[in-house]
Amino acid sequence: MKLLRCDDDFSVWRGQARQLLLCAVPPHAVSWEDVDRLQLFSAKPLATYSVTGREIRIPALLLEQLEAAARYRMSGRWNLLYRILWRVVQGERHAALAGDADGSELHRRLKSVSREAHHMHAFLRFHPCLDDAELDYIAWHEPAHDVLAWGSEHFAHRLGRQKWLIATPHDGVRFDGEKLDYQKPCPLDWQQLAQAVRGQGDKLWETYYSSIFNPARLNPKVMQGHMPLRFWAGIPEGKLIQGLVSNARAGSQKNGQAEAVAAKSGKVIGVGRPRSAR
Amino acid sequence: MELLDKLTILADAAKYDASCASSGAPKRSSKGKAGIGATDGMGICHSYTPDGRCVSLLKILLTNFCLYDCQYCVNRRSSDVPRARFTPEEVVRLTLDFYQRNYVSGLFLSSGIIRSADYTMEQLIQVARLLRNEHSFRGYIHLKSIPEADPALIEEAGRYADRLSVNIELPSAVSLTKLAPEKTQSSIKRAMGTIQTASQESLADKRAPTFAPGGQSTQMIVGADLSVDRIILGTAESLYGDYGLRRVYYSAFSPIPNSPASVPFQAPPMLREHRLYQADFLLRGYGFSVAELFDGTDNLSLDIDPKLAWALANRALFPLDLNRAEPQMIARVPGIGVRSAQRIVALRKLKRIRFEDVVRLRCLMDKAKPFIVTTDYRPQEATLESGLLRQQLRDQPAQMALWG
Repeated sequence: MKLLRCDDDFSVWRGQARQLLLCAVPPHAVSWEDVDRLQLFSAKPLATYSVTGREIRIPALLLEQLEAAARYRMSGRWNLLYRILWRVVQGERHAALAGDADGSELHRRLKSVSREAHHMHAFLRFHPCLDDAELDYIAWHEPAHDVLAWGSEHFAHRLGRQKWLIATPHDGVRFDGEKLDYQKPCPLDWQQLAQAVRGQGDKLWETYYSSIFNPARLNPKVMQGHMPLRFWAGIPEGKLIQGLVSNARAGSQKNGQAEAVAAKSGKVIGVGRPRSAR
Repeated sequence: MELLDKLTILADAAKYDASCASSGAPKRSSKGKAGIGATDGMGICHSYTPDGRCVSLLKILLTNFCLYDCQYCVNRRSSDVPRARFTPEEVVRLTLDFYQRNYVSGLFLSSGIIRSADYTMEQLIQVARLLRNEHSFRGYIHLKSIPEADPALIEEAGRYADRLSVNIELPSAVSLTKLAPEKTQSSIKRAMGTIQTASQESLADKRAPTFAPGGQSTQMIVGADLSVDRIILGTAESLYGDYGLRRVYYSAFSPIPNSPASVPFQAPPMLREHRLYQADFLLRGYGFSVAELFDGTDNLSLDIDPKLAWALANRALFPLDLNRAEPQMIARVPGIGVRSAQRIVALRKLKRIRFEDVVRLRCLMDKAKPFIVTTDYRPQEATLESGLLRQQLRDQPAQMALWG
């Protein structure tokens, strides 16, 4: 068994995988070590297999899928990718399709990764930086997979020339209005800046969230299915949810109106009609 | 009045409109440009409220003062609700602030009718114009169109908005006359026609300014009148066909404070709304027609989904051999969606489909099993009588308790 390290870097892995294919090393003869759980054996150079000299062509789509699936964080994530690559090169083209046992796992990871990028685009919250000339907005986010490098340009499209920073426990990205600066690991001062604003409330948004919710249609299960609990700490509305749910459950609301609105006095608009009694 | 108070009232007043979609816009980016905002065709749900609804846009009314007296509406003139009015600048400020903090992907603005239909429409356009022209905002804008407004104003709105919508409100013209005396179905449909024509003209001429590239949608209130599902979906089907609507939204009538006697005090089961959406999806994505979904019945079944109901009523077409069937027919199998059908077709070019393959595609096997044949599988239930099969396959009662 050959033990390899790629430091969870796709281009490094790709070079290694290419070399292995050229030497016709089968997937059961090789394993990639996890960055955070180094095994006792040290990686040996690829020795005994010799280059077969045949040409290897990998479909561009497959390479794209492997790169995307590589962002899925789990121990041993690289081994499946090599096995699929190997099988496709051997002529088993369905190895990358969802109906295949390996392909099914590939597609499960692809789906999770794209979902996690989508979660980042949805649930990341920027806080304005009022006293920093170099930064307009700052965010702390904890994605479950390695989606920051791949998914952060989205915010450059959204925010124009604004200057912003996103820090995560693993990596970080900073945009100066012109170009992205991706850093892995995340610089400590970036993390400190972001953690300082994390969890900051916003009265306007919290008011909107409480008011747009229809208590007569309470359905917290659906909400949680779409917006997993792990994100609640990072969004200002997260701390309101329990209260809104229990108030609606307690039956105080038979209609859709927000409590804050019900507490205000009303106004019938006169077109020659008497004001109805409250 | 404080901005916070206005927001409290005018978000509450806007919640009865179900739509919050931010999809369908063309690709726009602000990278390296003055201004902010981007769209890429995909909608983003930035949050979910405890009613399970997506928060994608800042959805508010410009004002909930209203001269109309639509019985199902919380903002009708005879309703005793607190009233407020934003200035266009306040809406602009809120939109930009919420957008930059990544709470929303844009604005969905509607309004009560103040002074006149034209005046109200002009106010809505003013907000969109400020956002687009003064602030170079490239995010999503959805404007509610006032059906009685001058067509020229609707055409102007479409130059700023990604999506326009005119609410059909109720499934039949009779109900509309009864419950919304100031509205008529003919003026609503005329506005839809104005939008469709302007949209087609814009698409036909490449040099013409874009017009509501996200298309138009509408909303129908379910359960405020006595219309049956067949009528509701029939109206939807003809709107899809006649005006090229992107979406029809169904909003289960939600009891409102100080409800008038002309509308029910009770909401219809949320499951009904859910089944309508499922049936609507079959109309839009699966090539079903309303006539196929109602086989002599008036309402969709609550205990089973409409695709399963259709399959049970058409047992002669099943079981279906997944190795031979047309892709469109595979997508009609309960538990197998369009995407899975495409994947089955891709896979069968490479190998014979086995039962295990369908399981791996994560199809809903309990539902699909009685209706499919694979190389290694034939359903025992193929000969089971439909009534018994239905009993086995119906959704468990627990799922009906959507009231939480």
